[in-house]
Amino acid sequence: MAQEQNKTERSEQTPVIELRHVDKHYGSLHVLKDVNLSVQKGEVVVIIGPSGSGKSTLCRTINRMETIDAGEILIDGEHLPEEGKKLAQLRSEVGMVFQSFNLFAHKTILDNVTIGPREVLHTPKKEAQEEALRLLKRVGVDTQAHKVPAQLSGGQQQRVAIARTLAMHPKAILFDEPTSALDPEMIGEVLDVITELAKEGMTMVIVTHEMNFARRVADRIIFVDHGVILEENTPEAFFTQPKTQRARDFLNTLKGRDK
Amino acid sequence: MSAANVTIRDALYEAPGPKTKKRIRFFTVVSLVVLAALIFLIIRQFYVTGQLDAKYWSLFTRLTTWKFLAGGLAGTLKVALVSSVVSFAIAFLMMVGRISKNKIVSWISTALIELSRGIPTLLFIYFFFLVAPQLGLKLPTFWKITLPVALSAAGVVAEVLRSGVNAVPKGQTEAAVALGMRDATVFTKIVFPQAFRYVIPSLISELVIVLKDTTFAYVVSYADLMQNARVLISNYDALLSVYLVTALIYILINYLLNKASVAVARHRSAVPGATK
Ligand SMILES: Nc1ncnc2c1ncn2[C@@H]1O[C@H](COP(=O)(O)OP(=O)(O)O)[C@@H](O)[C@H]1O
Ligand SMILES: [Mg+2]
Repeated sequence: MAQEQNKTERSEQTPVIELRHVDKHYGSLHVLKDVNLSVQKGEVVVIIGPSGSGKSTLCRTINRMETIDAGEILIDGEHLPEEGKKLAQLRSEVGMVFQSFNLFAHKTILDNVTIGPREVLHTPKKEAQEEALRLLKRVGVDTQAHKVPAQLSGGQQQRVAIARTLAMHPKAILFDEPTSALDPEMIGEVLDVITELAKEGMTMVIVTHEMNFARRVADRIIFVDHGVILEENTPEAFFTQPKTQRARDFLNTLKGRDK
Repeated sequence: MSAANVTIRDALYEAPGPKTKKRIRFFTVVSLVVLAALIFLIIRQFYVTGQLDAKYWSLFTRLTTWKFLAGGLAGTLKVALVSSVVSFAIAFLMMVGRISKNKIVSWISTALIELSRGIPTLLFIYFFFLVAPQLGLKLPTFWKITLPVALSAAGVVAEVLRSGVNAVPKGQTEAAVALGMRDATVFTKIVFPQAFRYVIPSLISELVIVLKDTTFAYVVSYADLMQNARVLISNYDALLSVYLVTALIYILINYLLNKASVAVARHRSAVPGATK
């Protein structure tokens, strides 16, 4: 782990993702309270917290799938605008993988992966297809390229969704509970793909309830409760000696559930 | 519509048990008997009033009669086809307008849709037939029937399309937006193609209505099937026989359209991924 010695060097770089004093309400519900977060290039940040604590909202505000009431969001040092061409362009630079895969139901697997580059980056068709096949091979679903999403298992669909995101050559990828909709036997295959990406140095923000995976893959754990970042820690420290009582309680309920 | 009915029926009712089966059989027999009796009575009445006389039916032995009817049918199909295309184009624009983020555009589109749905086809026809010429708008006869039929259907088609758009899961839009697609691209490449597939059966049902509306062609003296049937009636003084044959032709076409709609619906649910 060259991580420690890199730390000072990293903090001088511009973060890939930066949230400053972000606040968000749903009506009277204050879902995000003064959230500050910065993610450096190559860093894997895992967000953990109870259901309803605002993890998805936090994740979705990063590329403005949800609007914010106050604060700033910067992608690679650039302010995320509220709408328009520039926003679309910045969104194309941050990949997003959803709990429910959201593959385009009317398109083949291959077209699901090529449509982003074709429509947004205006990549020539042949080039986009070659790269798509390469990516599909990388996530192990190249043999399914000409099927439609509904013909694939959940695990396969989620791996295609990751390939679809990779095809955009994103600066970072956001994962919102990528394995929560999967049957247990398929969780591993998806986590393996994400672990590979982590090894290759992909910058990622991952919301997950898979604690072993989190511990393995994270450079940093963020614990969120009631819209507040309660704790930021290394995985080792977070799982062995969490700083807050809330985090301890949360981890204990998980342990109880596992037994 | 019929396709939707099939699924709703499947969802609402369980497979019939032995008792239910027996009752269904009983009522089937009863209704068949009643139907046979009715048909017998009608034919007997025709016979008594002399409608079955050869003079009313002999015209159908002539090829010219059939050619004349075929010409009318061609006119009907032409009006129906062009109306449908025009109607779809207008409907698409009104639907896009209605779901637009621009409040004023949305409001105007909604108003237009309501107008189209609320005004009877015949009123539209009178407008293009009687009012428009006075305003200096002189259209060929074909358009005097085709445009009103198209306008009259457009509102319903717009709402059918909108229901399809609303049925596309939000996740599809989110995934497209997350890839960096602009609104227009998301709509044309992701949302609308799926919405269109959802509503194909409803659109085909709407075709049946358009086809029926084309029978107003006689108002503007356009030579459609109905108009030509009326010519035959006055030439041969054969009211019932001609109407019967004409009705059968309309029924046949609409039956085929319905079949097509069901087939499309089946096909859609048979291809995984096409639905959902
Ligand atoms: N679109 C919405 N409208 C209103 N409330 C919402 C909406 N989305 C989420 N919430 C609420 O915001 C809170 C945080 O939700 P979410 O970010 O999905 O939590 P998590 O992902 O941690 O389970 C929850 O209380 C949820 O009910
Ligand atoms: Mg969530």
